This record gives sequence, C-alpha cells and structure tokens, in this order.
Amino acid sequence: MSSFSEELLDRQNPDGGWGYGRVGSSWTEPTCYALLALTSGEVYSSEGSRSAAAARKGLQWLTAGQRSDGGWAPRPGVDESTWVTALALLLPPELSAGDRQRAAQWLLSQSGRESGFIYRLRLRLLGVRLDPTQQYDGWPWYPGTAAWVAPTALTFLALQKLNRFTGDSQIEKRLAEGKAFLLAQRCRDGGWNHGSTQALGYDSDSYPETTGAALLALHDSKAPEMGQAIEVAERHLRESHSLEATSWLTLGLLAHGRTPSEVAVMPHQGTVAISLAAIAGAARQGRNLFVS
Amino acid sequence: MSVSSNLTRRQWVAGAAGTTILAGCGTAPTPGKLAPVSILKAPSYSEDLYALMQRIIVEHRLDVRGKRVVLKPNLVEFDQNTVINTHPKMVHAALEAFRAAGAADVRVAEGPGHRRVTLDLADAAGYFSTVPKFESTFTDLNLDEVTKVNLVRPHSKLSSLYLPNTVLGCDLLVSMPKMKTHHWAGATLSMKNLFGLVPGGVYGWPKNVLHWAGIPESIADLHTLFPRTFSIVDGIVGMEGNGPIQGTPRPMGVVVAGADPVAVDATCCRIMHIDPRRVSYLTLAAGEEQLREDLIPQAGERIVSVSAAFALLPSLESLRLVNPASGS
Repeated sequence: MSSFSEELLDRQNPDGGWGYGRVGSSWTEPTCYALLALTSGEVYSSEGSRSAAAARKGLQWLTAGQRSDGGWAPRPGVDESTWVTALALLLPPELSAGDRQRAAQWLLSQSGRESGFIYRLRLRLLGVRLDPTQQYDGWPWYPGTAAWVAPTALTFLALQKLNRFTGDSQIEKRLAEGKAFLLAQRCRDGGWNHGSTQALGYDSDSYPETTGAALLALHDSKAPEMGQAIEVAERHLRESHSLEATSWLTLGLLAHGRTPSEVAVMPHQGTVAISLAAIAGAARQGRNLFVS
Repeated sequence: MSVSSNLTRRQWVAGAAGTTILAGCGTAPTPGKLAPVSILKAPSYSEDLYALMQRIIVEHRLDVRGKRVVLKPNLVEFDQNTVINTHPKMVHAALEAFRAAGAADVRVAEGPGHRRVTLDLADAAGYFSTVPKFESTFTDLNLDEVTKVNLVRPHSKLSSLYLPNTVLGCDLLVSMPKMKTHHWAGATLSMKNLFGLVPGGVYGWPKNVLHWAGIPESIADLHTLFPRTFSIVDGIVGMEGNGPIQGTPRPMGVVVAGADPVAVDATCCRIMHIDPRRVSYLTLAAGEEQLREDLIPQAGERIVSVSAAFALLPSLESLRLVNPASGS
C-alpha cells in the first residue's frame, strides 16, 4: 500500500467520510477523492483489506448524503446541491455510491447562468455582443452562477464515464458543449486558469491545476490546440511545487500519452492533494480512474 | 501619538474607545460617530513595520489580551511583475505585534478567490519564507468548517451565507488588504477584502455567487456581518490601473488603519484621488453623508501629504475626486 493510501486511511473520520485536512469534519469533495484513491490501488481488490473496509464505510457516508434532487451538497448542513455531485458520479459504478441516474439528471439540469437563454436574450436586447466563451454550456460550481473550467472539466469526465454505459443522446449533446466550452476558455499561453481568459481586454495566464484538469477532460480531443496545451502543462509541471497541481498535471499529461517526470513537492498536504497523488500514481501504472 | 490638527486627544480617545472591535458581535456604527483613521508613513517594506503595528495597536487602544485574533490579508494570485497581494512583511509584523500585545491566538487566514491551491500561492507570494512556521499559523478559509448565517435586510440578492467558523469564532478580525484599484468596484480595500471570507469549499473558485448577487451589494452585506472589523491597509506599494490583478505597482509609502472599515476605505479612496461618495459599496454601507471627510477623524499624516492620483481605467474616470485638496 502506498504511503498516500496509508495516510488516507489514518485520516478517515469515524463517520466514514474525510475532511479537507488531517482533522476536521467530513466533506463530500475529499471523501469522493479519497474513495477514488483507495479504489484505484491494487490493495483494494483484496477482500477484507483495511482499504476495502474503509471504502465501504466511506461509501455509506457518501450514499447517505445524496439529496432528494439527486445531487450532493458540499457537506452535511449545506442545503444546496453543487458541483461535487460530479465527483460522486466519478466513482466506479460497481461501488453503487447513490442513485447514479438521478445524479446525472441533476448535473444535466445545471449550466452556466451566462449561457442561459434569458441571459443571452437580455444581452442581445441591450446591444451587448456575446463573448465567444459564453456560447457554450459549461457547468458552474454553485447553482445559478456562471460556468467555470474546473467544474466543467470534472462534470464532463463524470458524464462521459457514465455515458460509456448508457449512450444517452442528451448527455452526448452536453458533452459536446462542455468540450467546446473548455476549448474556448484557453488562456493566451494555451493552458487554463479558473475560467477568466480576459479581464477587460487584458489576457490572463493559466494555472497548473486547472490546466491539468482541463487537459485530462480533453483526453480524447484531437483539436490542434492540444499540442500547445500539453507544452504548457509540461512547463507548469517543471515549475510547480504543489502536490495537488502536479497530480492534476500528471493525470492530464498521462491521458495524452506523455510520460510526465516526477517532481519534488512541498511537504504540506490536504486530503484532496494526497488522494490525487494516489490516483496519479495509479494512473502511472496504467489505471486512470477518471478516464477508464 | 501624532494627531492631525483638527482632532483633539479627547476626540481621538472617545472615537477609538467606541469602536474597538469584537468581530461579529456588534452593530453598524452610529452615523456621525466614526472612529479615527491613522495615516502612517512607511516608505518601504524594510521599515520597522513591527513598531508601526505596535503603534497602531496602542493608538487604537486594541485590547487583545487573551483574545483570538484573525489576520486576513489579501492573497489572490501571484505575478512577479506586479503587486497583487498584501506584502508578507506587513502580515508578519502584525502577527508579532498582536502576539506581543497579549493575544491568546493569532492566525493568518485567507480564502483566495481564484486559486484552489492556497499554500502554493502563499509560497509563491513569499509568506513561507517571511512568516516563521507559516503553515501552522495559517487557515485556508476556503476549506474551513462553516456555519450558515442569515442576512437581515440584505443589500444584495443573498438571504444567507455560509461563513468560516475560524472567522465567526474569533474575537478580532483584522482586514489587511492591499491598496488597489478594482476594475468593477472602483477600489478594493478593507471591505472588499472580506470576499475572501466566503468559502470556496461551498461556493467555488471564484465565489461567483457574490458577483451575481451584486458586487457592491455583497460587499455591503459582508460589512453588515462584520461591522467592527479592524483594518490595516498596505499602501506602501499599491496598485493602479487595471486592478486588482493586472494593474501597475504604485509606490505610496503609507499604511492606513482604523476600527471603522467605512472610514478607513473612504480615507484610502481620497488618498488614491477616488471620490468615496461615488463608490457604490461605501454609499450602500454608510450613506453618502457619512463619507464626508470632516466626519472622519484623522490621525498621523494629512491625506493631502500622502495622496496621489491613481491611474484609473477609462470606465472608472467618473469616480475621480474632483478637488483632491478639499477631499471632495
């Protein structure tokens, strides 16, 4: 078992979930990533192992958190389903983390507010030209707000994974929109930041973590822009010291057939970063849970 | 203590005593009784900032003995070509000064709006190399435990907000922004800095829910929730032009501090040659009349001796102070 997996097991809360840090109450996001990490390792396959027992308990916590609308809130006590629903849907189907169809329906019901018909109509009536990046339906972090790169990339991955089994045309349509959204949101350097490519006419630069996540989501894209995006990701990987950022970059580059180098990272780390490092480690061994 | 000529020692003490904060447990200041604002010269970050922070604590009679203090810098993104973030030397000096003043616990806390990887950002911005044991002193407000807080008579479309327990539970919140222009709000100072309290773990990166609810209105709402926030503004090198991220460094050599965020921000605006009465969130929070310069007692330097016209985007030229010498 990797040191990352050991660390995750030590961090599991008595209720079965995981918090963002070494201590702290359970949240949906770190719990989903921890479950992905535990189930990405070979150890999980041995029935009765410590990681298998931890995953079962974590799944119980997660399943209990699915809301009546099909989505998940960031944590118990927050009365709104959000983007974290995509993370629950990313878990392998055999784990049965909640009702996957209802989760997918909730995700399909969400889109960036700026890409909505009423908003676009209002802009047209006001004589405002539509920003090219607002032409496609991406996904927001929080209902009723604009679409951004990270939630779009993760929801894209979740729905794409689901649709390998279902072949739903509605999902296909949203996947095409999501892919177009991501390609339109590239920064001037070819990578991605949070989703603001220009601020009042000034170009913005990309971030390592969002570049890695977007690259991962576009793993099967043959768009000509991908070459530059891969170059940017490789540069970010050389310059980044964060485990979370380098893990996303590793996952993104591996998904495009590159062999990213191992890099030294800062010692501090939250549960999400540790989980992503374990998932990236498994991806290096040929098992990328985001895309397989 | 250096006090400007239009403020007596008696007025100073009365003003300061009336607004010494305990975060989250007070009401908005009564009109006409604004707390004094200190305007202190500090030509560079190599100055004795610790002594300057001690002076601020003493002058404003901040009794933090046994209290939990949270320092909230402005940590947004890092770009080595400009000055986006509160300088780490300012934060370190404040940390040590509040500890020396007897605070039981002093934490640095921030929830950046764009970057998820907060510690990576803090490292790039020099916080790890400047603040000893920074990681153990820091709380990422984006990932903190949260409590739902209802907004009574909100200015914005929000009816409630989830907010981090580290801030809700502290005795004194100190907003430590950078003095910058803001391409939407006009200026980003101690009140706008409170956007960083809103947790990304609930709302995402950026906290776009605040934008859709109305930026000036959301700033005013956060001020309503934390009316007694103490403010220490890093104006040693500010940012002009296309702030808050892509602007140009503007050396100003000044630190502005006070117990009333409205008074501090209005004073900073005047220092930047921005008319505070044209900044929406200030008028929402306090009303235009309250922003009159003569209602804000000032200590230390006079505004006119430290002010300079910040470059503004053409769309913000309407905010320009017409007569900087008179503050109107």
